[in-house]
Order: sequence, then structure tokens, then C-alpha cells
Amino acid sequence: MSPEPGSPGEEAGAAEPAGDVLELPAASRATDIALDELELVYAYIYARVGNRADTEDLTQQVAMKAIPRLRQGAPASAIRGYLFATARSVLGAFWSTRLGLSEAELHEDLAMAVPPGPPSLEPEERAHRILAALSDNYRRVLELRFLHGYSLKEVASEMHSTVGAIKVMQLRALRAAAKVPPDA
Amino acid sequence: MPDKPENRVDRIVSDLLRGRRLKLRGGDAEEKEAITVAARLAAASHGPQRMSSAFRSRLAAALVSAPREGWLTRRSALVAGLGVAAGAVSGGLIGKTLQPAPYAQLARGGLINPEPGRWVDVGALSDFVAGQSKRVTAGAVGAFLFRHGDTMTAVSSICSHLPCELWWNADGASLDCPCHPASFNPDGTPTKQAYGLPALNQVNVRVTAAGRVEVMGT
Repeated sequence: MSPEPGSPGEEAGAAEPAGDVLELPAASRATDIALDELELVYAYIYARVGNRADTEDLTQQVAMKAIPRLRQGAPASAIRGYLFATARSVLGAFWSTRLGLSEAELHEDLAMAVPPGPPSLEPEERAHRILAALSDNYRRVLELRFLHGYSLKEVASEMHSTVGAIKVMQLRALRAAAKVPPDA
Repeated sequence: MPDKPENRVDRIVSDLLRGRRLKLRGGDAEEKEAITVAARLAAASHGPQRMSSAFRSRLAAALVSAPREGWLTRRSALVAGLGVAAGAVSGGLIGKTLQPAPYAQLARGGLINPEPGRWVDVGALSDFVAGQSKRVTAGAVGAFLFRHGDTMTAVSSICSHLPCELWWNADGASLDCPCHPASFNPDGTPTKQAYGLPALNQVNVRVTAAGRVEVMGT
């Protein structure tokens, strides 16, 4: 398991909450901030698991793990850093459990950095970069399958091949895509 | 006959393209790189994603009801006379929200307690050798038994991750899963802590005055 990230207040050097009583307005504001930040976390997780149901489960896990430890008055940047650190931990555990591997055995791509640009643009840009780095046949089969939503049969027809051969080519293309360097 | 990797990966790709959950099986780990890149490409094909309004509402409700360590401080809880209550509420809520209840039970290696159950004779104590394990069945309950002098312990023979029958690895003194690289100690705990698997379920076992070993089964 990835270690749990530290409190964002500690990271950012945030002060202790000034009041000793429950301040509902402040709590509400912090919840609003957290929800906005969780939109980014949601996009970040979706880009890595590719389906809504798993993304919702994992985003909720991030929220439930992180929110109780967020301090009132922590700046948005600290909240974001803490949420993404938690998201990486949750994603690592997700892949570890689904694949039956220790997190140390997962490939380096899962040690995911916080996306540098707007998260909503990152998955497509990254996908196009991956595809651009592949040979023509591999790029074509993945473009038709993933970007155009073709069935195996349709891809086989388009590429004048058989379904069996396309299935093998798809696997080899995905293996090749996995080897494309992150900065390609 | 094991499924070919191209078939297994295509099944996963097809699920992803239909927006379904990732359902992985034993052996899929061999293609972990292909699977994770397929998930990324599928995500890219679906375009930018935002929370649905229904999910955002559910999340907001969960956040509002979650305990906030920073907002309700220990001192304020004590001042309000809520120390015990706050501890109970936060402990209970965190436990319930971080993990679904069934998983939390598995993490402790819950006891298999069949209803209705019955004690099933599985052999004489002398049939069991210390340091070795023997698989027995008690009706629908499969268990690996371990002898410790005149007492016995037992754990479920089903892996806590995928529902595969474990086998006893005498060389490693561990219970190994044939479906993926996981193994468990005789007490049911996973051998690799980083693996993150729940412990095996415990099985009730006893030694009678007549020196017979009995397992609670069906």
C-alpha cells in the first residue's frame, strides 16, 4: 500500500483552527472548495481507469479519506495537493487489488504525477501523443478501435484482415503503446 | 484451457469501450501494461469527464455528514461534553465510509459460521503433522488445518481475493493461490503486506476428548 499522505495543514504550514467551536459557514465553504477540487480528482482518476462506475467509487474513497483530515483555513493549493496525493494512493491500491499485484510490481506509470495542465485536456493530448509514437498499423488499429469506436469486425474489414489477426494486433499495439515514454 | 491473452485483453477493451467497470481475472496481471494503457485510451475516447449532478450531490451529502477532525477539535468536543460521543461517531463513521462493511469484515479474517452448522469429523489428531497442512472438507466448507501440539487451527481454503482454491506449499510453508501471485501464512495473514489482501477467513476446529478432529461445516 502506498503510505497515506500527511495532513495538508502540515504540508502547507497552516495554522490551527482559530475557533474551538463548530463553525458551519466555514465548514460549508471548505466543503464547496473540496467539491471543486474533487472535480479535478474525478477527471484525473477517470483518465486512468476509463469508466464512470470505478471513478465514482474511487473519488468517493478519496473524499472520505481526505476530507475529515482537512483543516479549516487550509489554502486551496494545500487541499489540492493532499487530494491528489490521496488519489494516487487510492489508485495504487485499486490497480494492486484488481491485478493481484503488489504496488511495487505495478509499472512506473502508476506513480502518477499531478497533471501539469488543465486535467480535462490531458487525457486526449496524452492519447494522441501515444498514438503518434506507434507504427502505422498499430496506430490505425487503436485509432479505429478507441477513437472511432469500431468493433473488431469493422476494424478487420477496414484493414483487410481477419478478426483473429486484428485481436492479436490490438494486443501488440497496446503493449507497444505502454512502452511509449511519458514525455513522448 | 486458459484463454489467450489477446482474447482476455479484448474482453477488457470491449468492456471499457462500453463504459463498464474494469473486471479483471487471474492471469490478467501479465498484461498489466496493455490493460492500463487501454484504460487511458478508453478515457481519452470518452472525452473530458465531469461528475454527474447526481454523484456530486451524493458526494456533497457524504462530505457534510463526514466527521471533520479540523473543524470539531478534541478540545471543543470535550468542552461540549462530547468526547466519548465524538470518538464513537468518528470511529464508527470512518470505519464505515472508508471501506464497505463486507470488506472490513474480510480484513479481519472473519469466522466462517455456517447456519445451520454441524461438527464434522475429519480424522484423528495423529493424522495431522506439526509444520504441515492438510486440506479437509466439512460439507460445503473447505479448510486447511494446522496442528500445534494437541490443538488445531484452521483457515478457509478459498483465496480472499479471487475465489480460487489455495494449495499448500510445503517448501515455503505457505498457502499459495494458483490464480495470481498471492500467498498466505498458516494463520491466514497474507505473506506480502504490500499486497493489500484481506486475511483468510478462519474456520472453527476442535479436538475431542477421544482425539478426533472436528471442523464446523454444513
